[in-house]
Amino acid sequence: MTQELHARAEQLIAQERVEGISTADQIWLQQHLAECASCAARAGATEQAIRSLRGLSVALPPALASRTQFRVRMRAQQLRGEPRWRLVWAACGVSWAFGAATAPYVWRGLEWAGNRMGVPNIIWELGFGLWWALPAAVVAVILLMENAGRRSEADWKRQQN
Amino acid sequence: MCAALSGPTTAAALTGSASLLFSTFMADDTKSLALGLRRRDPEVLDALIEQYQYRLFRYLLYITGNRERAEDFFQETWIRVLERGHQYDGKSKFEAWLFSIARHLVIDWQRQKKAQSLDALTNPEEGAPMEFAGDDPSPLHLFLAQESEATVQASLERLPAIYREVLLLRFQEELGLAEIATVLSAPISTVKSRLYRGLEDLRGLLAGEAA
Repeated sequence: MTQELHARAEQLIAQERVEGISTADQIWLQQHLAECASCAARAGATEQAIRSLRGLSVALPPALASRTQFRVRMRAQQLRGEPRWRLVWAACGVSWAFGAATAPYVWRGLEWAGNRMGVPNIIWELGFGLWWALPAAVVAVILLMENAGRRSEADWKRQQN
Repeated sequence: MCAALSGPTTAAALTGSASLLFSTFMADDTKSLALGLRRRDPEVLDALIEQYQYRLFRYLLYITGNRERAEDFFQETWIRVLERGHQYDGKSKFEAWLFSIARHLVIDWQRQKKAQSLDALTNPEEGAPMEFAGDDPSPLHLFLAQESEATVQASLERLPAIYREVLLLRFQEELGLAEIATVLSAPISTVKSRLYRGLEDLRGLLAGEAA
């Protein structure tokens, strides 16, 4: 038997396990292995190495899954909070920008309405003040809701512990 | 059958609501899984953690060579899965995506340590010896952990990490070449050459240990 045949068999033995070989190659390899003891031993050693690898076991740390699940849930809670904050700040920014841009018109509009209805200046000026305080009031409401959410989260953590 | 949720770890490993979820997944496909991850559904994540705990921990243990580190990376991997769940498109196997995340975490950590490659992570000369075995093995485990397993462990320890990794992904995790290439972010030709070289080296090492 030539060296080339052994080299081909060697290559096919590994290739069969790594990426598969054609049926024709399989047939040729089986015939060669039936006739060549050294290549058959090599094929056996390769098979044994893979079997040993598959047979390896590791011991899992205790409660690994439950501890991880807890951490993941905590992080999920945090993540659920983050977009709300972005939304609050975005709403705040838009609100203040809109307020600043429309302030002269609102002032004139309230002045006109106040004069037309004959109300004292202080009343429509207070109205203008309210117009400016509105975004802050909205943010305050959101913060209160956020705090309520944090309280329920703390309760949930206590239950988990 | 859902490819992402099938594999060596079976429904028997799941408990309670997780097993119910598992059976639900069986009828669905990876698209459902992708949807659950996008929604950051805690029930989906719980079931996945239970299902993949053994395989992911084993993979991390073999690439880091340290149980505590593997445990830390295990938890970080699932946090990353939660945060980046929207990036899983459901077109590929979930485990390939999962292992890829785990691997990147290990590589990032290794880069912070200013090492050049995954290989340095488990170089016995540079760090602590590898700790594959559990701290408190059961009598059954001790009985089963006989010479042959110890020989394989010893041989694996001596294999460079880049070869050990592909061998484990191919022959323990049963991933395809393309999937391994995804995990490694490397061409299939690289995966193949590492597999051939790793298999050759492992066979040689096992023969040496046996002799």
